[in-house]
Amino acid sequence: MNPKTALLKIIGVTQTAIGGVIMLFAFFVFYNIFDLQTAVGFPTEAIGLYLWAFIIFGLLSVISGLFLFYEP
Amino acid sequence: MDEPHLKRDLGLVRTTMLGIGGTLSAANFVIIGEAAGMAGYAIVPIVVICGVLSLFTMFSYAELGTAIPLAGGEYTFSKVAYGGFPSFLTGWFEWLSNMFYTALSAIAFAYVVSYLFPQINIPLTAVVVVLLFAIINLRGTKETATAETIITIIVLAILAIFIIGGWSFLQGTPATPQSASPIGILGIFAATAYLFELYLGAEAVAAAQAEVKNPGRNIPLAIILSAVVLIVLYTSVVVVAVGIVPPDVLSEQSSPIAFVAEQALGPAGAILVTIGLAIAGLAATNEAIMAQSRVLYAMSRDGYMPKALSTIHKRFCTPHVAIIVGAIFTVIFAATGLVNFVVYAVNLGFIIGFSIVNLSLIKLRKTAPHLKRPFKAPLYPLTPIAGIAASVFLALFIEPSVLILGFELIIVALLVYYIKMVGYHRIRIAFGGISLGLGAFIAFIAYLVGTNTVLQGLPQETVTLVCGFLLFISIIQIIAGILNLIAADR
Repeated sequence: MNPKTALLKIIGVTQTAIGGVIMLFAFFVFYNIFDLQTAVGFPTEAIGLYLWAFIIFGLLSVISGLFLFYEP
Repeated sequence: MDEPHLKRDLGLVRTTMLGIGGTLSAANFVIIGEAAGMAGYAIVPIVVICGVLSLFTMFSYAELGTAIPLAGGEYTFSKVAYGGFPSFLTGWFEWLSNMFYTALSAIAFAYVVSYLFPQINIPLTAVVVVLLFAIINLRGTKETATAETIITIIVLAILAIFIIGGWSFLQGTPATPQSASPIGILGIFAATAYLFELYLGAEAVAAAQAEVKNPGRNIPLAIILSAVVLIVLYTSVVVVAVGIVPPDVLSEQSSPIAFVAEQALGPAGAILVTIGLAIAGLAATNEAIMAQSRVLYAMSRDGYMPKALSTIHKRFCTPHVAIIVGAIFTVIFAATGLVNFVVYAVNLGFIIGFSIVNLSLIKLRKTAPHLKRPFKAPLYPLTPIAGIAASVFLALFIEPSVLILGFELIIVALLVYYIKMVGYHRIRIAFGGISLGLGAFIAFIAYLVGTNTVLQGLPQETVTLVCGFLLFISIIQIIAGILNLIAADR
């Protein structure tokens, strides 16, 4: 594996993992697991909005990361 | 694939029942309580206003449904009128709205049942209902029109008992003083935007035009008849409900109509109403799952969505991939258990859909004046313009978080559209740009955290940790963006 391919794979995996973690974090916040809503101080009425913002951010990261990982 | 020829065996009565049955969902009788809390006794005229507003667009559905004899509803209308992105956007919102509607019906079912079984978990019950009906739809739905007619008759009969029993109860009780909306004219507008959902589903009449006998006569008549019946029905239900139970008390109930029935008819009344609404909720969930999967299937068939979504199951002959994909998203929405958010999301999607149907009508009247139209919308162009104006106006009173969600969904729609319609390298450029933008944005957030502009009051070590994590994400996003751009350039 040449250095450029290795870089693509590493960045791709990392970006995908970041996206996945952020989406997971969104659900943890939404369902207030580990009392995260209090910890991060998000207003309760805007939790749905944060959920969507994080999911879209996470989704875009995952797609972009997969593009890099599966670079032909 | 050729469209199968459907037999025209729906007369005026069954077509009208289709319009009525399409709207009768448990969700409508759950949200009445919340709307009463918003608008007080003004909920009664609001129910009538919502009916009249939706009737304007129903005329457009009737004209386009009879002039364009193809399956697909608003998605097909906009494809004929505009094509390209507007058509994709219509299908996109039709799909999303139906997914939200599925989730809403399942959540409403759970709320209705929770009146008799308070210990049930609302989100879990909603998720189980969605999964159950997704499996049923995967295995295929045989002749459902008769079942739907029977369900509609049962629900109408139960509601008639509720109205008559409630009305008799009202005659024997002293009149209570009625006040105006508790939060003024804005509350009334907000309640109108919220209650717009009441009449969604009546467009099923236009969608079924291929099966209607003498469509030029029966479709417009069925639309007007179903609208009149629904306006009378909902108004009667609401008059009885707020007459027996004050709006502020009504808004606190998980199943407002069952609560009213218990006051007027005793426990047996509550059980009867709960059974009726639960049946309506399950039927609506089933129909919405079927509708969203068919829209996704049609968009995939037309090349707007990945080809896999139009795969037909060899044994069950159903678009199983579209059903599964839709069910996954629906389960996420249903798991929230948030009625208000989902109601506004449904309304936003349908408001956009209604606007596009009215715009399609105006466009086709200009560009295809010789198109054979068995039925023409009366008072053209006033009715479609009134439909558009009402939609735009109601959109202003939708919950801000849902409007932002709608805006985000339009951006996602643009992404999906260009992913399918432009080449691979352009997509890489797009994602490269998005990653760079996200990287810059996260770097800005990291700066705000680092300078204690946000997340104030946290220990310095935590701030440093969060700031470092954000910087790491930012760097990864920027590198990924550059790599995607370089790869696309080759």
